[in-house]
Amino acid sequence: MGNMKTDRDVMLRMTGIRKSFADLEVLRGIDIEVRKGELLAIIGPSGSGKSTLLRCINMLETIDDGSIAIEGEFLAEKGEYVSGDKARRLLGCTGMVFQQFNLFPHMTVMENLLEAPMQVKGMKRQEILPLAKELLAKVGMSDRADYYPSQLSGGQQQRVAIARALAMKPDIMLFDEPTSALDPELTGEVLKTMRELAEEHMTMVVVTHEMAFAREAASKIIFMADGNIVEQGNPDEFFDHPREERTKAFLRNML
Amino acid sequence: MENLLHTVVLMLEGTQVTLEIFFITLLLALPIGLLASLGRISKLRPLSLLMEFYIWIMRGTPLMLQLLFVYFALPMIGVKLPDIAAALLAFTLNYAAYFAEIFRAGIQSIPKGQYEAAKTLGMTYPQTMRRIILPQVIRIVLPPVSNETINLVKDTSLIYILAMNDLLRVARTIVQREFDMTPFVVAAVFYLAMTFVLTWMFKKLEAHYGKYEN
Repeated sequence: MGNMKTDRDVMLRMTGIRKSFADLEVLRGIDIEVRKGELLAIIGPSGSGKSTLLRCINMLETIDDGSIAIEGEFLAEKGEYVSGDKARRLLGCTGMVFQQFNLFPHMTVMENLLEAPMQVKGMKRQEILPLAKELLAKVGMSDRADYYPSQLSGGQQQRVAIARALAMKPDIMLFDEPTSALDPELTGEVLKTMRELAEEHMTMVVVTHEMAFAREAASKIIFMADGNIVEQGNPDEFFDHPREERTKAFLRNML
Repeated sequence: MENLLHTVVLMLEGTQVTLEIFFITLLLALPIGLLASLGRISKLRPLSLLMEFYIWIMRGTPLMLQLLFVYFALPMIGVKLPDIAAALLAFTLNYAAYFAEIFRAGIQSIPKGQYEAAKTLGMTYPQTMRRIILPQVIRIVLPPVSNETINLVKDTSLIYILAMNDLLRVARTIVQREFDMTPFVVAAVFYLAMTFVLTWMFKKLEAHYGKYEN
């Protein structure tokens, strides 16, 4: 019985994930597991496949082999994704934040938040407005509701992008290098928002180069290189006692 | 003076034909051009190739030749259209091809991240196009569409060869009859007035859609 209970806590499980771009194999059999309320930080040099792995979770890329289960249901099994309503429902469990924010430039901040709940869930403006306002307050953007994205700093845009993803009430939030396009002085505000989200036990998978954030906020670290998981562990163990030479070399360069 | 007034009245009638061709062509060519551009960028290879071929033919041959073809060659294979319909068919097919290329370039200039953001929010392809992509495309394509639209006003004068009494043909008829060049000047003023109104309208539209920046 105990086992079944913990199994139900698994929000995301990927097993044997393989993926190639033409002749280049970018994912060579990756296994990961994320439990409810965990923050998994994926780190590694560029070209290690970490962003691709994240993008396979919501079908922005497709895997060649392996399985993906979201909250116990297969999104992809032996390399084949499910389709139709089931795919849509499972994809709806995830929200994504991009490196380049990707806000809709022709819409105000508030319209960016309202768009998907109204179009996808068919909600009325009045129904979604309270949550949208609450989310803007949470990311500290209440006073910018009527601004266009171009009138905001990168850090502000990214916080709006986080609120926009949350407006669809996802169970798992995926972050693809959310601070990499930001000026250094703006990364702090975005990381703070993410930290708060983690404190509320949102399940998160974060691809990042922010080592201090990973160490402090993550429940588990995965270090990837050349399409493989080189090493994984809890943050203290990982940063204080890395076992693999590859990890040590990477950390020496980063810190 | 009375003569000039008479000329202007006749030419207003010609202008009516010109405007008719202009508006109906625009009304048809814009949506057809949009559909053709979506076909052109479609992943369905046969559809995309068909649209590419259509655009190639329409942009690769003179509009004058296309008009003559519809007007004189189609009846030989049994397709006899009324004059105005023949002109509209040629104009619409020609301008839709140009609009299709303008729209295609506009659509393809929208960053991939916009599609990805919409997709991760659960939006379908039609929703993404209608709500996210096309509103941004409108802003980008307004200047080239404005150009083509102004061209269309002037291109309507090509129906001259189909013996339809448009603005230019009426002017020419009066010039030949009266040995007076004034109708040509009046025609120029009329064309300028039409293009002036269009320029003004597009300026308004660009201001309206330009309220945000990328």
